[in-house]
Amino acid sequence: MTSSETAVSLTAVRKTYRVGEPVHALDGVSLDIRRGSYTAIMGPSGSGKSTLMNLVGCLDTPTEGEVVVGGREVGSLDDRERTSLRGTEVGFVFQTFNLMPRLNALENVALPQLFQGVDRETRRDRAGELLERVGLGDRLDHMPNELSGGQRQRVALARALVNDPAIVLADEPSGNLDTDTEADILDLFAEFHDAGTTMVVVTHERHVAERADRIVHLLDGQIERIERLDRSGGSETTAIDRDGATGGSERG
Amino acid sequence: MNPIESLRLSWRSIRGHKLRSSLTTLGVVIGIAAVIAFVTLGASLQAGVVGDISPDDQRNVYGWAAEPDTDGGPLAGAQPVFSQDDLDAVEESDDVEAAYGYMPLSTQALFYQGELSPQSDALVAAGPPYIRADSLDEGRQFEMGEREAVINPAVANQFEENISVGDELTIVLQGGQRTDVTVVGITDSSEGLSPFEGFQPSPRVYVPTDPYYTEEAGGMLPGPGGEEGPDDGGSGLPGFGDEDGTDDAIDDDTDAIETDNDTGAIETDNDTGAIETDDTDTIDADTNGDAIDADNDTDAIDADDALFLAIVVEAESADDADVDRARESAATYLESEESDAGVLMDDAGLEVTLQTSAELLQQLQDVLDLLQNFIVGIAAISLLVGSIGIANIMLVSVTERTREIGIMKAVGAQNRAVLGLFLAEAVILGVIGAILGTALGLVAGYLGAWYIDLPLVYPYEYVALAIVVGILVGILSGLYPAWRAARTDPIDALRYE
Repeated sequence: MTSSETAVSLTAVRKTYRVGEPVHALDGVSLDIRRGSYTAIMGPSGSGKSTLMNLVGCLDTPTEGEVVVGGREVGSLDDRERTSLRGTEVGFVFQTFNLMPRLNALENVALPQLFQGVDRETRRDRAGELLERVGLGDRLDHMPNELSGGQRQRVALARALVNDPAIVLADEPSGNLDTDTEADILDLFAEFHDAGTTMVVVTHERHVAERADRIVHLLDGQIERIERLDRSGGSETTAIDRDGATGGSERG
Repeated sequence: MNPIESLRLSWRSIRGHKLRSSLTTLGVVIGIAAVIAFVTLGASLQAGVVGDISPDDQRNVYGWAAEPDTDGGPLAGAQPVFSQDDLDAVEESDDVEAAYGYMPLSTQALFYQGELSPQSDALVAAGPPYIRADSLDEGRQFEMGEREAVINPAVANQFEENISVGDELTIVLQGGQRTDVTVVGITDSSEGLSPFEGFQPSPRVYVPTDPYYTEEAGGMLPGPGGEEGPDDGGSGLPGFGDEDGTDDAIDDDTDAIETDNDTGAIETDNDTGAIETDDTDTIDADTNGDAIDADNDTDAIDADDALFLAIVVEAESADDADVDRARESAATYLESEESDAGVLMDDAGLEVTLQTSAELLQQLQDVLDLLQNFIVGIAAISLLVGSIGIANIMLVSVTERTREIGIMKAVGAQNRAVLGLFLAEAVILGVIGAILGTALGLVAGYLGAWYIDLPLVYPYEYVALAIVVGILVGILSGLYPAWRAARTDPIDALRYE
């Protein structure tokens, strides 16, 4: 990972699924995500949100174009290297929390470091510290089924942060939470963002997206527009961003 | 990923499904237990049997006559055909050091200082060399023609006051007759002195064939050996094979009795069927007159007519060539028309078997090996079934935990790490099965060995082998499920409900 300003950059990315007729899930998307930024990705079902997330999360490789995560081009890596990159540079937060059911909170948070070969002592210290920060310092050895939805999502957030990734990818992070808990989690996201974490939140709910610096609107596999938000003012200011720093959409 | 971490994580999921995991390992437990139990039993049996061949015994060739193709151990289906003349003639050969008859005699009880101890089949009549010097703890061999006996520790310690050399012992024979013996020696072990006696420790009184058997056979005492002999032969096989032997023995029993009457061991003198025997006597008398005369002198009753159930031929040395020469010489004579045995066997369609105890043990060993291979075969099938069980459960487990696999891969688990986790789980199941199976097998084997009174032998190498087999079973059965888990696509896995 380089010390460049860009955490993730997509250049003319196209992802084609061949199920009978070729379907372009992403059709020429270029997007830069700067370090320390907070980006929301919105769009209706089938707009390519999930595909974009899989590409940014190094779970998938593009059919065409280039995806650079943490300074490395994902398409050129083999499976092992891609997994390794994913482990260190990407943190996932899922709608369904996706905690390991037979591991307690601490072990769940420590799991990504386990796969990086970090020793047990260091892992436990780091996981404990993060759980403290998300407000679960007293629930370290609780099993996931002993935790509420909001608490589980906090554990998941702590897990996403444990390897100090270039980017935290949250897929509908509040989709399974009630309004109050949702607000708590989103506050926590904002807190970590303020502390320097690069956040990308995929959502179809406007009020969740509005916590971000900007909203990328996807439609039919292309970037329809990028909406910049004045964080102090609210959501009124909109603009289709064409600045070099954040990139834009291309048709083709 | 650190293998210890893999094991720790896998152990978690096994503990998460206690019942399922226990049932899964059951197949392996049973397979391994079966192998270990039978290997323990086999090793103990072997130790018990092989422990009985003393160097002196290796000079001996044991012979008996039975119908061809009679299955079973020593004396199976044996019928009394060897006359004193035969024994003398065999002993005359330059290749033979000594030849003597062997006859187990049925008893009712032993009597010592007013104390009675019921004992059946406690009496063994043989020649003095049967008591080998190295098997005597104290005293000496009995002498032919004397009312002397050598007893084993099981007899010596049977009574309130231990019997010692020089004491008088009264034996109550099958028919109720009492006969007195002077104890002249005590052996060092209660196990049989030859394959004829079997290998289980049991009380035995060894006496010279003359006078004890010749008297009995001579008509003073009711018909003995033929009836009990084959049964004894059956019991020569410890544990298994006994059934076979006994069945045969029962069949042969009637034969034996018939043969007895036909050939006239007892009633020769009065019976019409005796002509044949008389004939052979006459023939023998021609060739071997001296020996017979001598016999006739010692005993007013027809001692020559006593037919022995078995013959023991002692070679000049334990050297294989010497033993073979002795056997050859004895066989040539016994199968010829010259011998009483040859004529009798011809009439009854019997064949003489002459074997060393090593060879007899080898037969036993062969049967044992066959049985062991059979059991190991069944155990192998059980292990195969066990492996399939583990593989099946692992496949179910992989499907069930598709989402967990997806999570692990999303947070950076390499394919290798996922493979390792599931393989570790299968190996743990296999090893637990192997350990439990080994414990169960050892307990069963030792109980069995203890029950049939064999020395306990610890087959350590098989315990190690069992663990290795457990690991192998785990790897083999876990390989495919683990491979499937490893190649699970994380995107699909995370979507999996």
